[in-house]
Amino acid sequence: MIRNNTTQLAPNFQFSQSSLQDYVECKRRFQLRYIERVAWPAVQAQPILEHEARLANGQAFHRLVQQQLLGIPETRLTPVDDDLRRWWQAYLETRPADIEGRRYIEIALAATIADQRLVAQYDLVVITPQSAQIFDWKTSTHPEKPETTRRLFERMQTRVYRYLLVRAGADLNDGQSIAPEQVTMTYWFAETPEEPVHFAYNADQFAADERVLTSLITEIQMQELNSPWELTTQERTCAFCPYRSLCERGVEAGETQAGDEVEIELSTPGILDLDLDQIAEIPF
Amino acid sequence: MEFSTVQQGLIQAPLDRKIFVSGPAGAGKTTAGVGRLQWLLANRVPAQSILVLTPQRTLAFPYDTARHMPQLRPGGTVNLATIGALARRMADLFWPLAAEEAGFTHPDTRPIFLTLETAQYFMARIVGPLVEEQGYFESIAIDRNRLYSQIIDNLNKAAVVGFAITDIAPRLKSAWVGEKAQLRIYDEAQDCAIRFRHYCLEHNLLDFSLQLEIFVKHLWTEPLCRNYLLEQYPNLIVDNLEEDTPVAHEILQDWLPHTTSALLIYDEGGGHRSFLGADPVSAATLASLCDERLHFSASFVVTEPINALAKALEKAISPQKATEGQGREKAAVTQGSSLRSALHYDLHRFHPEMLDWAADTIAELVHHKGVPPAEIAVLSPFLSDALRFAMSNRLEQRDIAVRSQRPSRALREEPAAQALLTLAALAHPEWGSCPSRHDVATTLTCVIEALDLVRAQLLTDILYRTKGSCPRLEPFAGLKTEVQQRITYLLGGRYEALRLWLEHYNEAPSTELDHCLSRLFGEILSQPGYRFHQDYHAARVAANLIESVQKFRWIAGALPGEKPPAQEYVELVRDGVMAAQYIRDWEADQADAVLLAPAFTFLMSNRPVEVQFWLNVGSAGWWERLYQPLTHPHVLSRHWQAGRLWLDSDEVAARQETLDRLTQGLLRRCRHALYLGLSELGEDGYEQQGALLMAIQRVLRENHGT
Ligand code: SF4
Repeated sequence: MIRNNTTQLAPNFQFSQSSLQDYVECKRRFQLRYIERVAWPAVQAQPILEHEARLANGQAFHRLVQQQLLGIPETRLTPVDDDLRRWWQAYLETRPADIEGRRYIEIALAATIADQRLVAQYDLVVITPQSAQIFDWKTSTHPEKPETTRRLFERMQTRVYRYLLVRAGADLNDGQSIAPEQVTMTYWFAETPEEPVHFAYNADQFAADERVLTSLITEIQMQELNSPWELTTQERTCAFCPYRSLCERGVEAGETQAGDEVEIELSTPGILDLDLDQIAEIPF
Repeated sequence: MEFSTVQQGLIQAPLDRKIFVSGPAGAGKTTAGVGRLQWLLANRVPAQSILVLTPQRTLAFPYDTARHMPQLRPGGTVNLATIGALARRMADLFWPLAAEEAGFTHPDTRPIFLTLETAQYFMARIVGPLVEEQGYFESIAIDRNRLYSQIIDNLNKAAVVGFAITDIAPRLKSAWVGEKAQLRIYDEAQDCAIRFRHYCLEHNLLDFSLQLEIFVKHLWTEPLCRNYLLEQYPNLIVDNLEEDTPVAHEILQDWLPHTTSALLIYDEGGGHRSFLGADPVSAATLASLCDERLHFSASFVVTEPINALAKALEKAISPQKATEGQGREKAAVTQGSSLRSALHYDLHRFHPEMLDWAADTIAELVHHKGVPPAEIAVLSPFLSDALRFAMSNRLEQRDIAVRSQRPSRALREEPAAQALLTLAALAHPEWGSCPSRHDVATTLTCVIEALDLVRAQLLTDILYRTKGSCPRLEPFAGLKTEVQQRITYLLGGRYEALRLWLEHYNEAPSTELDHCLSRLFGEILSQPGYRFHQDYHAARVAANLIESVQKFRWIAGALPGEKPPAQEYVELVRDGVMAAQYIRDWEADQADAVLLAPAFTFLMSNRPVEVQFWLNVGSAGWWERLYQPLTHPHVLSRHWQAGRLWLDSDEVAARQETLDRLTQGLLRRCRHALYLGLSELGEDGYEQQGALLMAIQRVLRENHGT
């Protein structure tokens, strides 16, 4: 039972792996970002230019892959930046998604859990009669195994993506439901293309994910509305959080290094979703 | 939710039906549209196969809410878009297939998408020298930015109406009846449009007009892109079709035969965006492509007195139109006796008195009559800063929450943005740009917690130096002890920390202005002891500014001009070019508060309210068009007959039509009562005798005593 003075989410709010990851890392960050929608334009990570270039290149790489998957001839796809060219070359050499099946590029799936919508935006889902494979392109550098595998496995993305494909994937499979055992998730790293990380799935994990997601989303709705939520005890997280001045948790942004624990969220927009421009609306 | 029988019929129509529904605003069409969307989803139509198209984002809000309802079954997600957004996304994705054919000089390099601001910036680069060196547009007195935006508007009109950009001047000239000198202005506007287009093609720049043209001419006909869209979205819902443009309608005309299902919603009496190319006539032709046509006539919003008022006002504004519908009219007139119960007004001599009256009346409604603040809209033709401030202040004094919506607001009008840019100038003495003492003092007050203007002025007078053209803040320690005590050591310490930050920054400055501002915000201004620490509004303004600077850098930085992009940006803000409009501000404003908005903006949010207040009723703004010497929305529309002259009678008829449409549109979104703010003297202190006021007077005379 939700109490009256507890959190009211906006009617068009939906949970995602990144908002849940925020909550798991710091409740206060979730509150500031999604409930109070506080814009706080401090530097997130340093060196700023490199951080920015990494994000921009990551987005450009996602677009290139999307264009290739949509059928634009590869000869007409010409990355200009050095990093991008290297990643693109790696992609063409390994062709991680070159499998027969029905492809869904940049598809979003959603389901209701604990009375809230939970959504996932996939880079690529390939459905075959036997399997449902999720691909996620990563352009960040990553630390050595087994650290990578453990960290990725624990991330909300892995949980949410596999769970939602089972819960909401029937529409991608001619109305047939997808069993957990059919699902695999592959993180493919442009920097280390020969070492993708695969996660299988099963009914026990699905049930466990449902329990965890339900309890997280319920817990969020039970939070007090008018008081600040709990600040993270992992103060190192704050170095990479733009709200650090608001929380009085430091002055300068942290320095990112290859293999850093802090993963920078890269969000790729959907095909059209919510990109409703207003460009022609201003009276002249 | 309860639906009427006609709504039920539409919602539960077979899943492969294409339906065209028309009717006046308030007849429940959008509600039924949302119901249809939910019905499709409930009946296993894949959500990702449904595209909802609206002419602008605000009109999609009901669908946005509906597609996130917890009751929905698991599955894909419904996409929302405008034709402009669709064009941009397709141009981005399928660029390699269109660039060469569209005439771009560097088809192998990525395109650069321009915002309205950055388009104006590049237009300024092209037109500025022509104005200064070749005397372009010398016979007209108009703000530079409005000059640029009208040239951009002409390009946009060509794209949305569907004519060649070389036809701009011939069309405008053939309708002109006045001074010959104007013909030269049109030629110059034409020349600027062509030069801009060439510049864009040379540098891979895509303004709105080019995005749309590429989509319509090159991608919609390219099988890969076309099939992608047709296969991806076999189910269309298009709302407010009448507010979209002829080219959008042509795309739909081509798309509809390929769809499995479609719902087209057409608002009679709409076309409010006609100055942006909206074309209700071409919208209506799409009905013939649908299997079924429905008409919703009964209003769910308007009560009888408001209906009677709308009829009487229509008769007063457009007698001929009212006569045409006389059959219906008669019934309305007999019920007209009730209109006075919905219409409230009070005449004042001065404008501030009228505002006091409006605020008192709102307070009475909210505190004593139980009207929720969100059910009250205060509207005027324009919402100047002065009016917004005056009205917000009055309402807040009466303990009433208020929110305002305006389509754009120049960043220079925001104190937080001004403060950041003043500090940026101090952090970059090499720009040679010295803020005034007044600006520095205001900035210190704006950023240092507890520092008042008097002490800020004292600090500035003594410690702010401009050597040559190099601005500099001197250390607090340089003040005499008694002055330090007067300022207080606490505030002096804050001043000093800020000064030192600027000094250290200057030793190793960021290469980019947005990085400088981000650091300044995070490392100083939002730390304890500084005002942004607690001020979410200021933080949001800062976020808007930083985002705007960043976008500018990405775009303008790719084609460097004479000055560094940072300096150029600061000058553009100062000149009002950078307006930075962000939807985020609108979304954040959804509280239970009285809405203060320009009438057009309110219409485009399409949300009825219980009570409306129309302020500045005597203003000519309700009826006059903006002064636009370089363009003409009617002559550049698809229905203007080539070679026909635009006469005074056309102008009067167009104004009458606009006023009629606007007032009917507003009343269709008003449930119970209309309050008119009347003052003999307007906001500017002059007598007011606008067309709306005269029409209202006629309504009152004709219904006197009833
Ligand atoms: S600064 Fe730290 S405590 Fe504050 S929101 Fe960010 S992560 Fe949480």
